[in-house]
Amino acid sequence: MRNIYLVAAAVIVAVTVGAAATIFRGNPVPENVVATLEGDPDRGAYFARLAGCIACHTNESGGGDLLAGGPPLKTPFGTFYGPNITPDPATGLGAWSLNDFARALRHGISPEGEPYYPAFPYTFYSKFTDQDIADLWAAMKTVPNADTPSKPQDLKFPFDQRWALRGWQNLFFDSETFQDDPTRSESWNRGKYIVTGPAHCGACHTPRNPLGASDAELALHGAGGLPGGERSPPITPSVLGERGWTENNLAFGLRFGTKPNGDVLGGSMGEVIRDGTSWLFDEDLRAIAHYLLNNDDTE
Amino acid sequence: MKIFNLKVLAPVGALIIVASTSLAFAHGGATGIVKERMDLMASVGKSMKTITEMFQGEKPYDAAIVRQAASFIGNHGGEQMTRLFPEGSIQGPSESLPAIWQNWQRFSELADDLTKYAGALAAAADNPRGPGMGSGMNQGRQGGLGASPMGRRNPMMGQSADGMPMNDPAALAQMSPNAAFARVTQTCSACHTQFRKKQ
Repeated sequence: MRNIYLVAAAVIVAVTVGAAATIFRGNPVPENVVATLEGDPDRGAYFARLAGCIACHTNESGGGDLLAGGPPLKTPFGTFYGPNITPDPATGLGAWSLNDFARALRHGISPEGEPYYPAFPYTFYSKFTDQDIADLWAAMKTVPNADTPSKPQDLKFPFDQRWALRGWQNLFFDSETFQDDPTRSESWNRGKYIVTGPAHCGACHTPRNPLGASDAELALHGAGGLPGGERSPPITPSVLGERGWTENNLAFGLRFGTKPNGDVLGGSMGEVIRDGTSWLFDEDLRAIAHYLLNNDDTE
Repeated sequence: MKIFNLKVLAPVGALIIVASTSLAFAHGGATGIVKERMDLMASVGKSMKTITEMFQGEKPYDAAIVRQAASFIGNHGGEQMTRLFPEGSIQGPSESLPAIWQNWQRFSELADDLTKYAGALAAAADNPRGPGMGSGMNQGRQGGLGASPMGRRNPMMGQSADGMPMNDPAALAQMSPNAAFARVTQTCSACHTQFRKKQ
């Protein structure tokens, strides 16, 4: 019951801030990815694995075309459907510019100026570099067109009031670029970039508040209420250590799905491994493990 | 003649004991199929742990042990696995999902795959290790978004991401142990992703 009041109060705040923001801030967020950047489609395809684009934008079990729209993602707010992001000009991103693409990824704003729901993990993607975006864009253009129309999002009131998202973005979202920590190793920084950026591990492993914003204090402490009623385990250095994970077996596990005790990772982590991490280079898997275990001091 | 001849009674007693214990087993089996398969999974997990440590490079690679563990796993796939999943048996501490019986064909395929790939690993244990983690071959699996969309999107094509035919035992035995091991773990993970309760 208390939760409902909390949500109601938060919605009112979000709406108010949203209205104020629209008045005072205006709509467009400038994006200026250097147009001369040469995107590499192979690097972009690899980056798409890192970022998990395919899982949410392809209804694989439903036989959908690549990136032509995702399976239902059931959340406490309602059901989300990843839209068609093929280069189809009518149903996909065919009419978008590189800067439209960058604004969507890093600011969560559509080319029409509409805010996106944070089910689209732009709160993580905001860390993408210009080059990542150019590469990804080049890779997207190699995908065959599909004319499957995107499904409308199916949310409960009051979450279906999309305009209030502007308030949500003002309250909970800063588009921050990633900064290397010069006191840390290259591997640690690369790992942090992957974990907190493209791989968006915190989307499932960090608890969210009643309005769906990540709780930074509890980053990677595990979360309940995930789509399908799942719970994610904590992946903090201490818990990973207690459960027998090392840099070696964690990197290995992200490739092969194995756990230190002879079990395998199933559930949605099985899908993450199948469609994402099993495709990565060894050094990236090691960087992820290195950062998650915070292993810099032992080097 | 003594009625209670020990020489006669002892075997009778033994028989009674044997009969009653096997009865108890039979009874336990009927209601305890969940326990039976959880025990089996635990032993398979133990074998997996043994060989995983070798493929991870934490223990020296020993082909004989790999062969033994892989054979054990392979012997418990297929029918030996599926017979432990009578329809609707999700009682008690079971982590099985009803999806098993809604998609029995897929479930059986994966159980067969386990036998096939663990068998391949046993047969290939002595082959050169091949590229893979820890072998010095620092390779991610490559696949362009458009050119080979999703790599493993269509496992029904008889080919998999690494381009190996999936059904020819002779070809499977030519695999590198690393490649065969990857097939085994992919099979375990695929089944646990689709058919085991989320944890």
